[in-house]
Amino acid sequence: MTVYESDLPGVGKKHEIELDGDERLVVVTHNTGKREVFRRVDEASDAEKLFELSDGLARTVGTVLEGAYFQPVATENIDTVLGDDALIEWYEVPENSELAGETIEAADVRRRTGASIIAVEHGDEVTPNPDPGAGVRAGDTVVVIGSRSEVDSFQATFIDSGGGNGVDGDVVDGSGDGGN
Amino acid sequence: MAAGSTAAGELHGLLALGVLIAAATLVAAAGRRVGIPTVPLYVLGGVLVGPHVAGAVGLPSIAPAEVLTLAEVGVVLLLFFLGLEFSIDRLIAARKKLSTAAAVDLFVNFPVGVVLGLLFGLGPLGAFLVGGIVYISSSAVITKSLVDLGWIADPEAEPVLGVLVAEDLVIAVYLALAVALVAGGSPVDALPRIAVALGFLIALALAAQFLAPWLAPYLGTSDEDLVVRTLAVALVISGLALSVGASEAVAGFFVGVGVGATPLHDRVADRIAPLRDAFAVVFFAWVGLNTDPVAVAGVAAFVLVAAALSGPAKVVSGGIAGRLYGLSPRRSLRTGLALVPRGEFSLIIAALAATSPDPTIARLIPAFAVGYVLVMSFAGTLAMSEADRIERLVGVTDG
Repeated sequence: MTVYESDLPGVGKKHEIELDGDERLVVVTHNTGKREVFRRVDEASDAEKLFELSDGLARTVGTVLEGAYFQPVATENIDTVLGDDALIEWYEVPENSELAGETIEAADVRRRTGASIIAVEHGDEVTPNPDPGAGVRAGDTVVVIGSRSEVDSFQATFIDSGGGNGVDGDVVDGSGDGGN
Repeated sequence: MAAGSTAAGELHGLLALGVLIAAATLVAAAGRRVGIPTVPLYVLGGVLVGPHVAGAVGLPSIAPAEVLTLAEVGVVLLLFFLGLEFSIDRLIAARKKLSTAAAVDLFVNFPVGVVLGLLFGLGPLGAFLVGGIVYISSSAVITKSLVDLGWIADPEAEPVLGVLVAEDLVIAVYLALAVALVAGGSPVDALPRIAVALGFLIALALAAQFLAPWLAPYLGTSDEDLVVRTLAVALVISGLALSVGASEAVAGFFVGVGVGATPLHDRVADRIAPLRDAFAVVFFAWVGLNTDPVAVAGVAAFVLVAAALSGPAKVVSGGIAGRLYGLSPRRSLRTGLALVPRGEFSLIIAALAATSPDPTIARLIPAFAVGYVLVMSFAGTLAMSEADRIERLVGVTDG
């Protein structure tokens, strides 16, 4: 499968996606964010317009097509399409976590793991984009964004490694090792 | 001051502006139903409330000077947008295909206009101006038609938009030259003035290339700051250009190039577009205020001859552009048909011609341009929507 990209000065961008045989799907992304989706049966035929989507709707439909649509936190919509090496993860904070009863700042989440907490869910109450001074309690759900290794590091530091577990020595913390 | 035109008098200030925009939009709404592009209809709206029609029959009319400054803002913003979409990198990337296509476009269509101008006795400067009016296709009308007809997803969109981008650069150079030439005077007297004007524009072009990315953060982060500061920069620089005898339109173009090269591009385009639309309407209607329908009727023969020659010339040059992009004969024909409409830039050249000290040029060329844009934008749009029939007629149907 080949995807052709071209500029449409004054209009936006055009992507042509090869489907089976000669058929192509054409997506015109306007500078305004509007997407128009066309189909061309073969090289010679004219584009036939299938549908049109607003910017926000197009992104939502895109995540559904990608198989990545999920919405555990009641935010408005999912605006960011993440690349290969970035993900958002949800964790329930266990009793013995270093994070429980601390503020995000005091636990030094960002510096220690590289990952950032982008939302805290306490019961029914969701705090998106919490202040560094916001407190996290055991049983809260935190939403974390970062690269795969940063999120893994967050999990190792604040979720899995409860207080005083005895594992030492051969587990290297941080990123880089581990095959999967 | 013609007898009878003083009876009802002239409209001033806010009311003049309101009536002008209302007339323009009413005519556009009426014309849209029959598929005429809006640019010439805004002009027509201006004609109706101008001194030559409303004034001549004793109704309240609007003097062109009443809205001149706002019309100038319209010109600056039109060219600002061209600059915004203009990318030197993109031009360089596409230079192989595009430079030949752009050269064919220029060397076929510009001479057609020059010959027409000479034929109708307008002299060298008049011929130069008619050359520009006939050469430059309408980005506004063509882009809208491409989107409306769905051609935007077909292969012909690329050569069409590519040629339009190349024309943007040519028109910036052309306007810089035309402003200096129209100002007149003996060539020797004019030299220092031309040097100052060109120096200003060259400095501006360099600033757009090298300083703008560095200055961009100062345009602000909130939408309000972005709109107000961008407008301030565009108007101060284009105003300075006017004061040194350079083209305000070209200055607007380079400010656009500068902003377009920064990450602010999309947001500025999004926020300034409504301003451009509003002020561009004032500009088109202002051209109408200056237009005497009797004068347009007087050059009707000229307009029709020009349309009959320059329409097919664009189809040929556009067709060659399509072939250079490797398109089939049918799609190449469509490329040519799409490039036929002329519009806003022809009117900008006409507005420039109206300032000429030569009375023949100042009177005839704007009248010609208005008639010509009316015919060509309509004929071109019609040619696009009837492309299937034209293809069968010419016998190029593939697939």
